[in-house]
Amino acid sequence: MHRRKATFSLIAGCVLLGLIVVSVFGASMLAPHDPVKQSTLERLEKPSLEHPLGTDRFGRDILSRTLHGGQNTLISSFIALIATIVIGLLVGIVAGMYHGSLLDTILMRLVDVLLSFPFMVLAMVIAALFGTSLFHLLAVIVSVCWVTFARLSRSIVLQAKTETSFAAAKVLGASDLTIMRKELLPRTIGPVLILATFELGSLILSIAALSFLGLGSQPPTPEWGSMLADGRDHFFQFPHILLGPTLFIFITVAAFNLIGEGLRNQLDPYEKIEL
Amino acid sequence: MKNIMFIFLLCATIAAAGCSSNVNSAGSKGNNDQAKSSVNGSSNASEQAHSIEAGTQELIVAGQEIAVTLDPVQPLTTAYLRNMGVAEALFKVNAAGEVIPELAESATAIDPTTWEIKLRSNALFWSGKAVDAEAVIASLERSRELDLQAQPFLEGMTFSAIKDDTLKVETEREHLPVPLNLSYYQTAIHNAEAKHDSVETMDMTGMYKVVQFVPKQKIVLSINENYWGEKPSIATVVHEEIADEQTRVMSILSGRSHIALNVNPSSLAQFEHNDKAAIIAAPAANTQTIYLNLNQSQLADVKVRQALSWGLDREELVVLGAEGQSVPITTWLSSNPAYAEAANAVYTKFDADKAGELLDEAGWLKDSDGLRYKDGNPLTLRLMTWGGDKALGEALQNQWNNLGIKAEVQHGDYSLIETARETGDWDATIEAWSTFGDEYALLSGQYAPEARGNFGGFNDEATNQLLAQLAGAADAEAKRKLALQINEHVAEQAPVISLFPRPQLTAISQSLHGFEVHFRQFENTITSRLTLDAQ
Amino acid sequence: MCRLIIKKMLQTFITLFFATFVIFLLVRLAPGDPVNIMLSRTGEIAMSDSQAYDHKLAELRAQHGLDQNIAEQYVTWVRHLLQFDLGSSIHTGRPVQAEMAERLSATCLLGIAALLIQSVLGLFFGTLSALRAGKLIDHIVRLTCIVLASTPAFVLGLALLSFVAVRLGVYEISSEASWSRLWLPALTLGLIGAPQLIRVVRASLLTELGQTYVLSGFARGLSNQLVVRHALRNILLPVATMVALSFAGLISGAVVIESIFSWPGVGKHALDSILLKDYPVIQGYALIMVALVTGINLLIDALYVLIDPRVRLKPRVRRELRA
Repeated sequence: MHRRKATFSLIAGCVLLGLIVVSVFGASMLAPHDPVKQSTLERLEKPSLEHPLGTDRFGRDILSRTLHGGQNTLISSFIALIATIVIGLLVGIVAGMYHGSLLDTILMRLVDVLLSFPFMVLAMVIAALFGTSLFHLLAVIVSVCWVTFARLSRSIVLQAKTETSFAAAKVLGASDLTIMRKELLPRTIGPVLILATFELGSLILSIAALSFLGLGSQPPTPEWGSMLADGRDHFFQFPHILLGPTLFIFITVAAFNLIGEGLRNQLDPYEKIEL
Repeated sequence: MKNIMFIFLLCATIAAAGCSSNVNSAGSKGNNDQAKSSVNGSSNASEQAHSIEAGTQELIVAGQEIAVTLDPVQPLTTAYLRNMGVAEALFKVNAAGEVIPELAESATAIDPTTWEIKLRSNALFWSGKAVDAEAVIASLERSRELDLQAQPFLEGMTFSAIKDDTLKVETEREHLPVPLNLSYYQTAIHNAEAKHDSVETMDMTGMYKVVQFVPKQKIVLSINENYWGEKPSIATVVHEEIADEQTRVMSILSGRSHIALNVNPSSLAQFEHNDKAAIIAAPAANTQTIYLNLNQSQLADVKVRQALSWGLDREELVVLGAEGQSVPITTWLSSNPAYAEAANAVYTKFDADKAGELLDEAGWLKDSDGLRYKDGNPLTLRLMTWGGDKALGEALQNQWNNLGIKAEVQHGDYSLIETARETGDWDATIEAWSTFGDEYALLSGQYAPEARGNFGGFNDEATNQLLAQLAGAADAEAKRKLALQINEHVAEQAPVISLFPRPQLTAISQSLHGFEVHFRQFENTITSRLTLDAQ
Repeated sequence: MCRLIIKKMLQTFITLFFATFVIFLLVRLAPGDPVNIMLSRTGEIAMSDSQAYDHKLAELRAQHGLDQNIAEQYVTWVRHLLQFDLGSSIHTGRPVQAEMAERLSATCLLGIAALLIQSVLGLFFGTLSALRAGKLIDHIVRLTCIVLASTPAFVLGLALLSFVAVRLGVYEISSEASWSRLWLPALTLGLIGAPQLIRVVRASLLTELGQTYVLSGFARGLSNQLVVRHALRNILLPVATMVALSFAGLISGAVVIESIFSWPGVGKHALDSILLKDYPVIQGYALIMVALVTGINLLIDALYVLIDPRVRLKPRVRRELRA
């Protein structure tokens, strides 16, 4: 019964994600208009047959911009997410494994420092020092976001180390690396993946926040984050202006969420008990 | 049961926070002495003399920024103090653009390099000290010494006291408009002997005096009982700093504040069906301009620069960049109402064909991909924007792209632009300088070779000569003619491309009356004629 | 125990100095000069001669010690720091300590209130969702979480503010940090941070409820409530981690919300100072923030032992097992 639910979740998620990916990467064929063509007469129009998601402050078709813009957003947030997870897991498991040692201390203090430093501040410094391209944007995001995963996986590892299975592995002479791979990694991946599905949403929104500072894609290239930032000025008069990117972000996050749920149910070795 | 506990806890938390009385806590307390209220005795007594209504009225102004310090010579201070009726200069500019007396009573030009200024006999500082010639000179000298922004207006002037209430001004330049120069907020008269580091030690002359100052939060004013002029009727004014523009608009729409400064044109629609507040749009004498870097190879050619100007649909830029709240102009000085006749000079209309021709003549020929090339290189233009100019930048990029120019726009922090200017690695930036004032000061500040406003390195013989003539111009008529000439000539040379006067929007509550629309609204918000409906 | 505390404090100090040195370097490496920014922002009419400007620029730079090289500046700053003097802001001239004290207390107040709301929402809905997993209420909660997670912070803030302050007229928009104005920004922040916590609570609790001790608990006839309570205690570790992370994140990242609700907090102040390159303020801010967050995390580390006695602070004992 749980397996069926899990599979359904996984499939639904993959289907949704597939839809998004196809529509976004097939934007050149699917988009009804040119995403960068400005048209002063058609400014800030409500959704209509001609423009299903309305037009923005320059008269550009929002649906077309959302479809084209999704490419940049998805690719950059996906890369950032993977990098974040990998680094976070690595650091967290190692720190937890060698808990109490110098390595753990250094890593955790590094985590503290990065945590206490406001994200926007770091972004601004990097933007000013190194540049505002996509690569720099990813660098900023990854350098700040891995911390959450590291801390979470470390706390899970700390608990896992109290389990008898852990002691057993040690007694049986397994090397540290093997223990980390076979005992700790499986226990951390579940919650981390769940967290990741939510991180994706905030990642995309962080990209939006950074585009206020000029980081990321430069005009007139559309991108969900910068579309949100640009639409803020007219939000009260024309709320639909944010509808396009928000809707697509929502569907993307929902898709990842469903996938995450399904994966968690598959990976979780213990059956859930109904109450 | 656990669930019920949680719900209860949640509701209790929210209820406790929401229903508490309005107690000033974390924000206002602290090591800040300036936050202490100081209302002196005389003010208390005379409060009873006013009617009960006016005596308890509080006018709330929501601004983007309030005075950073209380010392008039520090940056970002006097403008706000003057705007709130706290600081005054010897003269001021009225809504019609004329210079009229403020702290001074009159000014007479004795000869081309000497002026005599007579002061008011009843003007006093808040402390009671008389505003006599010596005090005025001390204040002006202090400003000249410590305030960089005051220097252009006090340059070449020597002050001396003839009598207690008269001072003599000797100028280096002939026919210097002394009253105009002494009307700028940077020359505000303050007690040079006072320390101006806290509410108790600051000493100025305005109709309102400061009674509470919480930096970056609010400044509270109450009526100056010893004011020399017409006293205002509203007892207290609170100038709050609400940096977020949309929140500022909401503060006036919710009825909390009575004036909201620096409203964005994009918020206009929110006031359309609103009976609580209305928008005042006073055209400012301030031109939104694109400054070009003449040291870049593609911009050194005057034909290219002219093409950039011909190829701009300024009407569209006004719609996209200022929500239609302005009018296109093609020359820099014409945002000043006195020079409005030059608004359409030189570039009489949007002419993309002419722009194309000029670019062709300059050697930039259109290729099959729509871009223009010369010797294999594309014609590129990098525009840097900051602040509220993001949309304008994108609109410009689009229009230039249509001409075949590979235009890039980068929006970011002002420091990026400054750095780019230092290294010379920039093509175009957008700035907006004031166009009201002494013509020579304005134009030389923009186009003289060493001027601060001459970012692009413009050095033109004809312009320099005309500026020299303007410096020695004998009368207003000659000045005007020369100014127009320089204005047009510079537009033809196109080191800068003028777009439109920057819109200046203020929102005022319907319960406020007597608000004066002024083209220099940023220093004329609070006047003595304001009245507030009884609550 | 005493030795441990001393060791931790030493670590903290080293972290602080290292972190602040890096910040010190970074802000000075970034292009832009604070005095130049201050002077150039405020002109109404451009001056026809740059000489006076350059002269004043040099004068102010010397006044703030910016003409020395970086090493000298750092030493000067540390020297003042050891006398508990964080210097004065270049922009306003006020002592950094005074400014930070005012604004930090406002942000902490907001952070704690938001944390409270977020924790209550997170624990409540997370538990609810886990206990009723697969049912309608679970789906509704999850859907709401996704909606909240996909909505930009400013949208939520502006929408709530507009509804409550303009439409209903029960919230006062001003620039003060008062108790009556606390609930709306705290609620907004709580709503923004709740989805993450709900998910972690739900996931951890579901895993926990699948453990053998739960099954055996039921088999032995223990009540639902008792078993769930035990399960909740066991997931406290990762949940506490998330909560601690949230607090740090709230304190340092509430910039947008502080701006929208014009809450005079430290986030916006820091952001403005970065834009203005106000070095003393940035350095002071970095120092205080690192100290604060490090302190909180140390506290959590200490609490780990209390919450879960199986986790020892000195696991050297286990190493012996390897032999």
